[in-house]
Amino acid sequence: MESSHNAASVPPDNNLVWAILCTVLCCIPFGIVSILKANKVNTLWAQGDHVGARKAASDAKKWAIWGAIIGPLAIIIFYVIIFVIYAGAIFASTY
Amino acid sequence: MSYTRVPYLQVHTKILKITLLLALLGGAFLVLFLFNPSQHSFFLPCPFKFVTGYNCPGCGSQRALHQLAHGNIQTAFFLNPLLILSLPLLIYSLGLKLWNYLFETVHRVRLFYSNLFIFSYFGIAIAYWIFRNLPIYPFVK
Repeated sequence: MESSHNAASVPPDNNLVWAILCTVLCCIPFGIVSILKANKVNTLWAQGDHVGARKAASDAKKWAIWGAIIGPLAIIIFYVIIFVIYAGAIFASTY
Repeated sequence: MSYTRVPYLQVHTKILKITLLLALLGGAFLVLFLFNPSQHSFFLPCPFKFVTGYNCPGCGSQRALHQLAHGNIQTAFFLNPLLILSLPLLIYSLGLKLWNYLFETVHRVRLFYSNLFIFSYFGIAIAYWIFRNLPIYPFVK
């Protein structure tokens, strides 16, 4: 942990927490994007490209938010489709 | 970051958001505490497991959290060791995020800025994904 009031010396938030959360909660595809972005933030920051690192960090945040929205949505849509197929099969088998 | 400060509104939204967050977390905890995911079917199973029959690195997390809520740390560990081992780190980093939001500080988790850590963590996750599906003793499906 690093505490400083001088914003120039603190790297931008790379949002790796969301990547880890995605991994342990089964949204691996979004987790992978988050990991790559977090990795890019670190690399650019280490190279001294602070503008690039901030840009990568804001991309990482965008992906984390989209992952949080699309992940559960995709799972729900997936189960709705499965349910429709099962309901259709049960309906068809009664004839 | 530059924004115009509206102190009252800001404090108000912060309180609202924290209340919402606590309500959500409390609700999730209550559901996981009261119902065992291995006995009730209304929990959403992992789509990967549903389709392929194999476990993903996150499979067993709900069951593990249920056991953890009842204080059975060992049972929880065997259901998903990756989650249990990541939990302290997750709580710490999410807590730090919340602290940053509340008090407008810029604390960072040092570990997350090491690419070595990132590659080892996700390397372990991928290795765990493969090994937990093999029919060898500690990793029975």
